[in-house]
Amino acid sequence: MLKRLTLMLALLTSPVHADVADVVADHILPGYAAFAQATADLDLQAAASCDPDTLRPAFQTAFDAWMAVQHLHLGPVEEAGRGLAIVFWPDPKGLGRKAQLALVQGDPAKLTPEAFADQSVAARGLTGLERLLYPTGPWPADTCPLIRATAADLARLAAEVQGGWTSGFADQLLTAGAPGNTRYLSEAEARQALFTVLVTGLAQLHDQRLGRPMGTFDRPTPERAEAVASGRSLRNVRLSLQALRALTESLTEAAPLTQAALDHAVTLTETLNDPVFAGTATPSGRLKVEVLQQAVEQARLAVLAEIGPALGVGLGFNALDGD
Amino acid sequence: MATRRAFLSGLAALALPKPGWAAVGSPHCLAAGKTAERYVLHGLSADGQSLFAVDLPGRGHAAAAHPHRPLAVAFARRPGTFAIVLDCLTGAEQHHLTPPAGRQFNGHGVFSADGSLLYTSEVIAETSQGRIGIWETAGFQRIGEWSSGGIGPHDLKRQSDGGLIVANGGIATDPADRSKLNIATMRPNLTRLSPEGDITAQAELPPALWQNSIRHLALAPDGTVAFAMQWEGDPAEPVPLLGLWQVGAPPQLCPPPEAEAFRMQGYAGSVAISASGRIALTSPRGGVVTIHAQDGTHLATHARADVCGVTALGAGFLLSDGSGALWSLDDRQLSPLTRGDTAWDNHIVPLT
Repeated sequence: MLKRLTLMLALLTSPVHADVADVVADHILPGYAAFAQATADLDLQAAASCDPDTLRPAFQTAFDAWMAVQHLHLGPVEEAGRGLAIVFWPDPKGLGRKAQLALVQGDPAKLTPEAFADQSVAARGLTGLERLLYPTGPWPADTCPLIRATAADLARLAAEVQGGWTSGFADQLLTAGAPGNTRYLSEAEARQALFTVLVTGLAQLHDQRLGRPMGTFDRPTPERAEAVASGRSLRNVRLSLQALRALTESLTEAAPLTQAALDHAVTLTETLNDPVFAGTATPSGRLKVEVLQQAVEQARLAVLAEIGPALGVGLGFNALDGD
Repeated sequence: MATRRAFLSGLAALALPKPGWAAVGSPHCLAAGKTAERYVLHGLSADGQSLFAVDLPGRGHAAAAHPHRPLAVAFARRPGTFAIVLDCLTGAEQHHLTPPAGRQFNGHGVFSADGSLLYTSEVIAETSQGRIGIWETAGFQRIGEWSSGGIGPHDLKRQSDGGLIVANGGIATDPADRSKLNIATMRPNLTRLSPEGDITAQAELPPALWQNSIRHLALAPDGTVAFAMQWEGDPAEPVPLLGLWQVGAPPQLCPPPEAEAFRMQGYAGSVAISASGRIALTSPRGGVVTIHAQDGTHLATHARADVCGVTALGAGFLLSDGSGALWSLDDRQLSPLTRGDTAWDNHIVPLT
């Protein structure tokens, strides 16, 4: 009863645009601004020093900032391969390392900003920097020029994504349904775009960040976890859940079940003492990660059951069908 | 009874001129969709206006348009146990096609050039072995079947010489639902059948791509086959989803540029070739359509949520999405044509 009353109040008090506008103003734009700032700081520090120990804190801060926005698979980050160039994971064939090996031993002209922007997305970004700042073995040549090129390129990418939002894409989302807006033909389409981001973000957490290290019960694959070298696997899951919770909060007030499910999943990440999911190698350790994975799935189901109807949208008619 | 009716309708055909597609407004194409809780098949003009709409008994997958008469055969989603022949002038269900015992329709069908025969992609339910069902179109009686040359055939297209190109997707499915049974061992192929049903050419993908199900087809005037694939392997692997086949030669794969490699999320839903030779490939999962040159080179990617149906429209394309919009597409941009409350289904069927 209380829940229904809250829901009705929420519906009565929310202006039509509040959902999308709130997400843009409170979640997306500040998130990309923080990521641009963090990568600019990292670039500045890399210009001053190539010492991995010196750069690691700024790298960790930049990765944290990325986790607050990495689920936003729409707009500028999807264009020109920017999102892939910021983080290229999973990389089961080790394309990134191979490309970087060629770069550290190759023509330095490939490391100028213009030339480096055309190098493989697998070699660049946070995943590229991680291999340079947290090496698992010696590199065959000096990595300093590549560290600097990668940090500068990452800052450029972050600035481009932020600029793409502030100089056009945010307006497209906010003026959904207005004459001349051919990107979003109705307000519902803008809500659906954010709803899809939320559902896809949870699915990606489930299938990739948690699913890849879990492997199968008979053959767990902890080595496939994300950002193992920098010790961020579990941290990325927690930050991603918190980011999705923040998105949910801005998107609708009418989602108590979703909020509770996300809170529960966040709590599990706080008590799971397994920073790079190495524990998935043992049955009991894997079970703990599986419990977290199930909590993520519960959150996704809550989003579908609760937020879809609240926003009056669903997942794509064809995207879901599959044939 | 059916035979007698066929005989009578045959007599009627001799006596009266039959209405053609002009009688229903000369549609450019057909598209199925869902309006509120109703499933409908629309005839669409080149500018995206609905010229007629007829009810369907359930969600369809694709349709086949008779080359002359305003008749459409709507296929159920696979595995399907029925297809219906609709009179687009009256909306009446003229015939209800049921595959023989142990067979299932698999989503697509095509008429012969003269309209006298209908070919349907089918599987033997227990094994997913592919069959092409053959139906005469006076009374829509089954008159035979051929092997499709593979497992799980899906789309099929008619060549100008009357031969058929079949996309044998390679996936064996449970006869009761759509669960996939053989992902680890699947092996799709393209098969060309002569007008007599003989397999005259087949092509397979390299073994590393056997988990790339070949599902949808488009034919260029010069005979080139464009094929669209759906990747069942590790989603982290960037695989081509478009290929070209000159019948008799090995298939040529058209990998996207690295930066675009994951935008389709391993899933291409439809493919079409325009009059100018451009190729369009859609992905409702990735919410994008890509345009390619005649040789498969990627030219552009345009974002649109849940876009799937595509057919040629002059030098460009007509597209449909699950939000009710129809679009025209050229190299530069997607432009909305119409928007309504019909969520458009996977495919647009051209009238040819």
